[in-house]
Amino acid sequence: MEGLGNSIKEAAERLLNEGDVDLVIGYERGTTPLRSTPCFIRDSGDVDRLIWDPTCDANLAKYLIGQDAKIGVFVKGCDARSAVVCIAEGQIDRDKVVLIGLPCSGVVDRKKIDSVLDGREILDATVDEEKITVRGEDFEEELPTKNFLCDSCLSCRHRTPTVYDIMIGDTPTEEPDTDEYAEVDELESMTAEERWAHFVEELSSCIRCYSCRNVCPMCYCKECFVDETMPAWFGKTNDLSDTMIYHIVRSLHLAGRCVDCGACSRSCPMGIDLRTLLKKGEKIVKERFSFEAGMDVEEKPVMSVFKQEDSEEFVI
Amino acid sequence: MEQGSVSKKPAVVEEWEPRIIAFLCNWCSYAGADLAGISRIQYPPNIRVVRVPCSSRVSPYFIIKSLQRGWDGVLVSGCHPGECHYISGNLIARRRFAVLKDMLEYIGVEPDRVNFSWISAAEGERFSKLVREVVEKVKALGPAHRLVKGE
Amino acid sequence: MKIKIVDKKEVPALIDRLIERYRVFAPVDAGKYARLMEVASGSEACLELQNPKLSSKEILFPQTEIILRIKKGEEGLETEEPSENDKDWVLFGVHPCDAKGLVLTDKFFASGDYKDKPYMDKRGKTSIVGLACNHPRATCFCASVGGSPFGKEGIDILLVDLGEEYLIEILTERGERMIEGVHGLRDASDDDMARAEKMSEEAEKALQTDLPIEGLSERLEGMFEDPLWDKVHLKCVGCGVCSYLCPTCWCFDIIDEETSTGVERIRLWDTCQFTQFTLQGSGFNPRPSGKERMRQRIMHKFCYFPKEYGVLACTGCGRCVRECPVNQDIRETIKEIMSV
Repeated sequence: MEGLGNSIKEAAERLLNEGDVDLVIGYERGTTPLRSTPCFIRDSGDVDRLIWDPTCDANLAKYLIGQDAKIGVFVKGCDARSAVVCIAEGQIDRDKVVLIGLPCSGVVDRKKIDSVLDGREILDATVDEEKITVRGEDFEEELPTKNFLCDSCLSCRHRTPTVYDIMIGDTPTEEPDTDEYAEVDELESMTAEERWAHFVEELSSCIRCYSCRNVCPMCYCKECFVDETMPAWFGKTNDLSDTMIYHIVRSLHLAGRCVDCGACSRSCPMGIDLRTLLKKGEKIVKERFSFEAGMDVEEKPVMSVFKQEDSEEFVI
Repeated sequence: MEQGSVSKKPAVVEEWEPRIIAFLCNWCSYAGADLAGISRIQYPPNIRVVRVPCSSRVSPYFIIKSLQRGWDGVLVSGCHPGECHYISGNLIARRRFAVLKDMLEYIGVEPDRVNFSWISAAEGERFSKLVREVVEKVKALGPAHRLVKGE
Repeated sequence: MKIKIVDKKEVPALIDRLIERYRVFAPVDAGKYARLMEVASGSEACLELQNPKLSSKEILFPQTEIILRIKKGEEGLETEEPSENDKDWVLFGVHPCDAKGLVLTDKFFASGDYKDKPYMDKRGKTSIVGLACNHPRATCFCASVGGSPFGKEGIDILLVDLGEEYLIEILTERGERMIEGVHGLRDASDDDMARAEKMSEEAEKALQTDLPIEGLSERLEGMFEDPLWDKVHLKCVGCGVCSYLCPTCWCFDIIDEETSTGVERIRLWDTCQFTQFTLQGSGFNPRPSGKERMRQRIMHKFCYFPKEYGVLACTGCGRCVRECPVNQDIRETIKEIMSV
């Protein structure tokens, strides 16, 4: 990825200098090892801050919502698809956004890396597409990057942004045949009791911080259903029934809209794997309605349309 | 707020009868239910009817909240596809119900608790048969315990 | 001030002794992280783990707490304020940053004439066994904000990990009462105390973050309209991670929920970062965007609270830095403020 650093900076500089955009949103180095952080640049003199490597995990499409300005935004394949969903839903003005595609083969999952370090703190790290080098007080280890990518990256079939104005570098090679529903299939093969027990266990540590909701570009409602009070649909405490329902309803709201960027699972401080729920929503919509989110800005949102021949085998 | 009762299976009391909430669309299913009544067709009294203008008025919130409040079963019934009083309400709803039903089953909620049907205004007999069928299905499952909020 | 020594392998038994008289909450290995939880036996406690994911405040000020129950009784409405009428409590293995956090939440919940009953009922019967921090993390900055890895504020007994043993420093009367009847403790030798002192120095030296906070509050007083606030909030997504995990954040919401027999009034965590936090009944929101909300968080912690109570509302535990989904770093914000 080394050569690309310049292309990224050049692209941002050009867009700002030529007035195509007022603001460029990208990634810059974070303040702790293995982290990047969103970066907002208005002055072309600041483009040297921009980076691109497997720590660039945030879904920057989030920051396009509710903006009036002309914005250039760096997007990975998944982020671009989120932007497409939001454009199709009328939340982002396609003409006001310059999508700068990044050639992504996956971002690292810090929780996976921590789990092999047995509590040792990483003080310094470098990462590229091949290897991750982590250094601590009395250790240095090299880990193969591909073993520590996020689960959503492992099953990604759309590395190339489906819509972009500028592409940095070459479009990445796709893996069209990933077994993206492996975890969902495994859960489906269990009994209902086992599945229920799994979700109770997984969701019981939720503290209702809503980081999952807030990092998601598709959660843009001005008033989220959890805050509705007339009527109050579900409780806001960490009561298990209310908590499970929060996650079930959020997954329902995202069925056919979620692009599996993984931002929600990565953001959860309690390490809850939300993808097992969200991926099911995606699978249902794909199998029933042959729809995949974020492929085409013109395509109407799947749950807002119907076909006469929609399956109704569940109707008694 | 007993956290435990989300998963705790309550003891089944002798003669327990399921309580089923039925969302019926005004123009078709509600009229069909009304026809059953006028025709003096007997059907189990386990359902409580909520009249809605169209099956598409029924949001997943209604269904999930009913389950949370301890309703043992939910029935949602609307016009046959193609016959919706509002042209396409039930067609939109059909997609929503499909996703909801699949998702609830995936979570581990028993599929027979949440039921969808199309009943027209002329189908009084069919409505009563449907209610009998749903009551039997839900009775076999026992009282609702998944998602139920504690006392 | 008594100083004792206990062998590490005796600590589970020591905790078992405490469990006979107290409800004991200790760090437990919850799989992916440590969490402060009630332990039924000393062997469940794990003191070798890093700071628990959530601070000690989750025990005394839980995420969800029923503060009032209203039932329809025979003669009208009956109200009941739940209270814990059980044994006294011990929070075991609390790092100094979290213990100081409780000192700060005490200032809020017990300030002035009104003492918050749900919190004070628990606080009043809680003793704290602290665990000094030999290896502060790179994200720790307790010393920058008036604390220390071996800080004793809010602690009744301080444990210092000396390798094979713990030094036990009994700091208060509560501490004395806790240790009554616990056997297997030797008096600490001068050598033990010297070792502990050395560890304290090394821990302070090991802190990697040193923030310039001299004059921070005064500077902030004049900065309400500073253009810096336009930039600080940009990447914040407005979730509750920082506030929920913070040892000193205490904002809460109160809701009423219907039950089959009446109503429960419940207190739950809230955060000034949520969009609806200051939404008024009229529809007006004085903090309509992330800019106002982020400014509020920083001003509250480093200006308003210190003005009122004389101490910064931050203990430098570093949780917000580690857990923020977008790597919003409060240390960077402070540095920016000081360089304006």
